[in-house]
Amino acid sequence: MIEIHDLTKTYGNRIAIDRLTFNVKKGEVVGFLGPNGAGKTTTMKIITGFMAPSSGAVKIAGFDVFEQPIEVKKRIGYLPETPPLYGDMIVSDYLSFVARLKGVEKAQIKSAVNESLEKTLLTEVKGRMIQNLSKGFRQRVGIAQALVARPEILILDEPTVGLDPRQVAEIRQLLIQLRGHHTIILSTHILPEVEATCQRVIIIDKGRIVAENTLAGLAGEESMAHVRRRIQIRVRRKASELLPSLKNIDAIKNVLLTQDKFEIELVGGDDAVEKITQVVVSSGAGLVELTEATKGLESAFIQLTSKEKVE
Amino acid sequence: MSKIFVIAARDFKSLVFSPLYLMVAGICTVLWSFIYLRAIGQFAQRLQMSQMQGGGAMNIYEGLFFNLISIVHLILIVAIPMLTMRLLSEEKKSRTFDLLLTSPITSTDIAVGKFLAGLGAATVLLLLSFTYPLMTRLVTEFNWMMLFTSYLGLFLLLGVYVAVGLFASSVTESALLAVILAIVVNFTLWFLGQGADGSDSVVMTIIDKISVAENFSSFVKGTFKISSFVFFLTFISFFVFLAERVVESTRWRS
Repeated sequence: MIEIHDLTKTYGNRIAIDRLTFNVKKGEVVGFLGPNGAGKTTTMKIITGFMAPSSGAVKIAGFDVFEQPIEVKKRIGYLPETPPLYGDMIVSDYLSFVARLKGVEKAQIKSAVNESLEKTLLTEVKGRMIQNLSKGFRQRVGIAQALVARPEILILDEPTVGLDPRQVAEIRQLLIQLRGHHTIILSTHILPEVEATCQRVIIIDKGRIVAENTLAGLAGEESMAHVRRRIQIRVRRKASELLPSLKNIDAIKNVLLTQDKFEIELVGGDDAVEKITQVVVSSGAGLVELTEATKGLESAFIQLTSKEKVE
Repeated sequence: MSKIFVIAARDFKSLVFSPLYLMVAGICTVLWSFIYLRAIGQFAQRLQMSQMQGGGAMNIYEGLFFNLISIVHLILIVAIPMLTMRLLSEEKKSRTFDLLLTSPITSTDIAVGKFLAGLGAATVLLLLSFTYPLMTRLVTEFNWMMLFTSYLGLFLLLGVYVAVGLFASSVTESALLAVILAIVVNFTLWFLGQGADGSDSVVMTIIDKISVAENFSSFVKGTFKISSFVFFLTFISFFVFLAERVVESTRWRS
């Protein structure tokens, strides 16, 4: 569906993206991950035909972005970093303007607008002026705008940035609903977002792809049984008495005690964690907290993007 | 083609219903009314004097309408850039330009659509100014012909100013810069060749032929020259084309 080959973009001497090559299959949801300034937005702008690359090729559904831009743009719904909203229009007028612009047939416009209003939960504000809406609503109007022409491909540049946690959850919910109806590329630097919505992750740093894999592959979850995990345990009393019995458990490779808190490194799956819990509870130490320190994607991300800097 | 009108319709609506437009239209009508009233007073005085001296009736065009046309024109030179200043600069500033550039439309659609929107809004202003001769018609008889050709000329001039304003708006993100640039270009176009009349030198004759003022004056005299018509259309197309180039260039420049 989306084929990107050897894409390079330079601003003067600065290389924004460097020989980027990747493919996205139809119906896939791909998370585009990277620190700020890694080249995510630049790549998306090139895919949407907003700007031209210095070299390389982008093909969307078989059409070259620069040879047949109109054909490509018909198939893409794009939410830029700043939602492209006209403050002096009311929401439904704005959406029908975008629908016309994208070439939705006249008879279809009304239903297309209503559909995107419903999907983005905007029906209650459809008669309001865009400039009077809150940031969360505006962001959703931006998404509605990308959806309104029912495009095959959705390109969303940081769709949840600047929203409150409830709104973030709503938009994630929406993205999950959209899965399967569109091919989606989603850029973000928020990791849980990717974990919640994407099937595949492309991590870029300084304009280069540093990792490309499925979520499970990146986080190393498929071989969780052989991977080191870290858990934290907090107890109410007798922490020091508990220490030797914890050390006796086979799965535990390392234990660190600070006041009432244990930092435990272990090898094994959930059965190992269950064993530990049993030991702690039966000792009568009063277990009050057991958390697993997130490994997986986050550490992969930090490892991959900081490794580059050392070079 | 239809995409041109999608853009034109949206921009026209947003322009005409903006507070800015009401303000510009308000100031224009106040100025025109004030000046036209004075012109009528002066015309009546001169008519009286000429009749006392035993002279015949005066030409209402020379005494009154030429004044009106030149003042309508002078004010539009300044007013039109205020209408066109935000056509493209605002899109860039509010990032709605991203939407236009990633939609399945060409740069020509954008430039021509915006030009038509500006021309429409400017034409409404021009029609407002036509109420003065209309009301004058209530009290006296005159021949419409020269007024019609003059207004056709004004309409074509309007096209030039809108195209200039569109171009000015395309090169900057600041509406203020756009308005200043457009007014400067408009006045330059108008005064170019103003002193060229009667000069023998070849250069001056050429400047005279391509000056906006010279081509406009034939319309005011009641004649309709195809060459002047073509001249204005060429001028308009030139500036719309420049604006289109600027829009297109943002695709690969940034």
